[in-house]
Amino acid sequence: MSDLPPMTSVKRWLVTTNHKDVGILYITTALFFLLLGGAMALLFRVQLWEPGGLGILEPVQFNQAVSTHGLLMVFWFLSPIASGFANYLVPLQIGAKDLAFPRLNALSYWFYLFSGILFVLSFFQGQTYAGGWTLYAPLNVPMYTPAMDATAGNNAAILALTLFVMSITIGSVNFLTTIHRSRAEGLGLWNMPIFTWSWLLTVWMMLFAFAALLAALLLLSIDRLFLTQYFMTDQGSSLLWAHLFWFFGHPEVYIVFFPALGIMFETFQTFTGRRLVGRKWVIIAMVLVAVQSFLVWMHHMFLTTINLEIKTLYMATTIGISLPFDLMVFSLIYTMVKGRVRFTTPFLFSLGALVLFILGGITGVFLGAVVLDYEFRGTYWVVAHFHYVMVSGVTALVAGLYYWWPKITGKMYSEALGKLNFAVYFIGFNMLYFPMFLAWETPRRVFHYGESAQIYHQIATVGAFVLGLSFLIMFFTFAKSWISGPKAPDNPWEYSRTAEWAIPSPPPLENWDGRPSYASGRLEFVDDSPAATDGGVAHGQGTTTEASVEHEAEHADHASIWPFGIGVGTFVFFLGLSGLTPFVANFAEGTAEPPEGLDGFATQPDIMYPVLIALGMAIMAVTLFQFGREKFDAPVMNIAERWPFGGIGNTKFGIWVFLASDVIVFGAAIGAYIFMRLHMGWMDWEFDPITMAGLVNTYILLTSSFTVIIALVMAERKNKSGLLGAMGATVLLALAFMGVKAFEYTQKMGDGHYWWYSIEYSIYYVTTGLHALHVILGVLVALFMIYRIISIDAYLEDHRPVEFFGLYWHFVDIVWVLLFPLFYLM
Amino acid sequence: MANLRTYTLIYILLVALATGKFVFFEFNFAYATAIGGTILLAITKILLIAGYYQHLIEEPRAISYMMATAVFMVFLLVIAAGYSIQ
Repeated sequence: MSDLPPMTSVKRWLVTTNHKDVGILYITTALFFLLLGGAMALLFRVQLWEPGGLGILEPVQFNQAVSTHGLLMVFWFLSPIASGFANYLVPLQIGAKDLAFPRLNALSYWFYLFSGILFVLSFFQGQTYAGGWTLYAPLNVPMYTPAMDATAGNNAAILALTLFVMSITIGSVNFLTTIHRSRAEGLGLWNMPIFTWSWLLTVWMMLFAFAALLAALLLLSIDRLFLTQYFMTDQGSSLLWAHLFWFFGHPEVYIVFFPALGIMFETFQTFTGRRLVGRKWVIIAMVLVAVQSFLVWMHHMFLTTINLEIKTLYMATTIGISLPFDLMVFSLIYTMVKGRVRFTTPFLFSLGALVLFILGGITGVFLGAVVLDYEFRGTYWVVAHFHYVMVSGVTALVAGLYYWWPKITGKMYSEALGKLNFAVYFIGFNMLYFPMFLAWETPRRVFHYGESAQIYHQIATVGAFVLGLSFLIMFFTFAKSWISGPKAPDNPWEYSRTAEWAIPSPPPLENWDGRPSYASGRLEFVDDSPAATDGGVAHGQGTTTEASVEHEAEHADHASIWPFGIGVGTFVFFLGLSGLTPFVANFAEGTAEPPEGLDGFATQPDIMYPVLIALGMAIMAVTLFQFGREKFDAPVMNIAERWPFGGIGNTKFGIWVFLASDVIVFGAAIGAYIFMRLHMGWMDWEFDPITMAGLVNTYILLTSSFTVIIALVMAERKNKSGLLGAMGATVLLALAFMGVKAFEYTQKMGDGHYWWYSIEYSIYYVTTGLHALHVILGVLVALFMIYRIISIDAYLEDHRPVEFFGLYWHFVDIVWVLLFPLFYLM
Repeated sequence: MANLRTYTLIYILLVALATGKFVFFEFNFAYATAIGGTILLAITKILLIAGYYQHLIEEPRAISYMMATAVFMVFLLVIAAGYSIQ
């Protein structure tokens, strides 16, 4: 499918893969979740009107409202709206026609949307998750908390988050490939627009941080669905969760804030008419923060039993991360001082964001000190600080909405309404969050508090409604502009300096007719038609030229229904999984060694859920197959800046990036094993492996790696039967591997050692099972490739897909290289 | 890309190294020695597979740095978390 219906057609929005369309979808969906998260906040702010609660919510409903507010805002609003801006603007700012993998971009969006729908559905499946947005163990499992019963709703919320993280991972791979490999000629990294810089660092952080969260969520989901013990033991489980979650969670603060910061930089430049002061140092500071963000996570664990030495170390690294931020803040202030400020709506929101961020930053320093954190942890001080930081980011994102609204819609908005919006927003924000500092002794996530704090809570509740009102004004302003606003020029801002302002508002489908180039030091559009390129096109150092020049003239596709279809299938499958627990619990009870404490899991089985699992798998099978078969052209830029990733194709680079993320997923799972074993005492680990089974499987998997490499050699030699034979042998070896695994598992279960038997067996089954799942996925891909070789002589002219498959398969082999000694020898 | 002969030699080497790991634990080596030796053999195997079967040695260095960063992240998480409970 390649024809893209008009924007007024619903079909357009189901099939589009164009980055601007996907950007609009992201932004509008994120705004919907903002409203939902905001409604949750208003609900519990009303409950907090008086100590002990006003009575509009039951205690567990209050917990649900607080938890889902946090989850919705952090995951389904903040990152996705930034992703929307990035989708729309990053290709424009770097001179690309689209993202590197347009269909995967659409798939990211559909996974995001369906994860949100699944999360919303969780409210209607018994009850949704109520254990706080940090999902702390053991609150996150049904073992000790009746409120956490393994209802389908509780499970659905966790699975929704898992699906959301899958969306983020796909998006990160796509953006990293795009920004590193599709920058216009002459656009070196130093000269890249600052918003794109902020997004580049965001996606690098996302790639590694969200992979750790994915691992944590997979383990948690398996605990909830299959009764494993990761987060249910009374020794080490809560620390394990805290380490995995905060290894993700602290970088997440910057993941959320960096795009907002990028918008602040862009708008400060535009509305002061001055280049950002110390621009290179600002970029270096952002890089430093991105690196340091992975070195501070244990400051969220000062009240746990981690040792004092590491707490002291993490206090120091926490102080350290504030320093690059100081530089960025001073750069913004100095840019304002040196420039001529025009107080437009976007600038006001950006300036407001800066003021609020300074307050949020300063109040966070208190929490970085171990001794003070002992006092402040779990109080409203944290809530106030956290919101001053995160919602200052929201403030800048609203600035972004106003700033790029004319570009995206082609309509101007009313400045008077915009300024009114800002005034109400700023007053509401401070009325809501500042009293929380004064009411700091209020315990977090509890509606019982001292009477002396009542006045502060009442001001905060009024502030919440004022802040809510400001968003209504914002929607009204945009609606009015959309319906009757004057037409926006290409560039409504006098001193804007990025490429999106050099093209019409809204931009055409393929962004530009000529090829954008910065080779001369300024933006130009080069005509690359044969007559014009006679004699060659000059290009800068570091620019690489793809061999396949004919691709430039290729027709680019912008439509595919299959990403939507895969999204539907995955959604149905995950929805089905959410009701699996009672079936597993029933099975467990029927075994010789049932687990203890099944009370929390004892909900009634509903046959609808297994049916949904089967249906979801069927839909996924069909849509993935069609996705693989579909001919979809996404032309690669012939001339582009690609440092430091020149000399490698887009797809291969994308696979390497994905594997880097998978290293973290497996690393976290293996790390969980090492951590729990260390916690228990290395030699006290009671697990009896079938060593010979592990050794045999090692030989089998190594041999399959060899057959895959033979397949590549055969493809290079255009030897069809050799290629088929090698791929077929790989599949057979993989099946043999799975057979040995099945034998092994059967033996273990025969001895009564099910996955719930102990933490040792839980980790053994899950880690080797996660690896086996990778083997199964590899087999499915290999079978598809065999089908393509038989049906259309695939890979004989272009052997790269065989190599790409090999990259994945060898990675699976590498993981086994580690699992074998860890689980069968040590 | 390497040729079939190189790939075959590496395969034989990989099988030998895998057997080596098994030998460390099946014969009377001290536990610490067996762990140390096994880690060394595992690293060698991983480098061979990544370098030659995944052709990392032929790719831009930046790819190796990226993968090394991912591995470093895992070590950072595991070592710091492990130390935190000592």
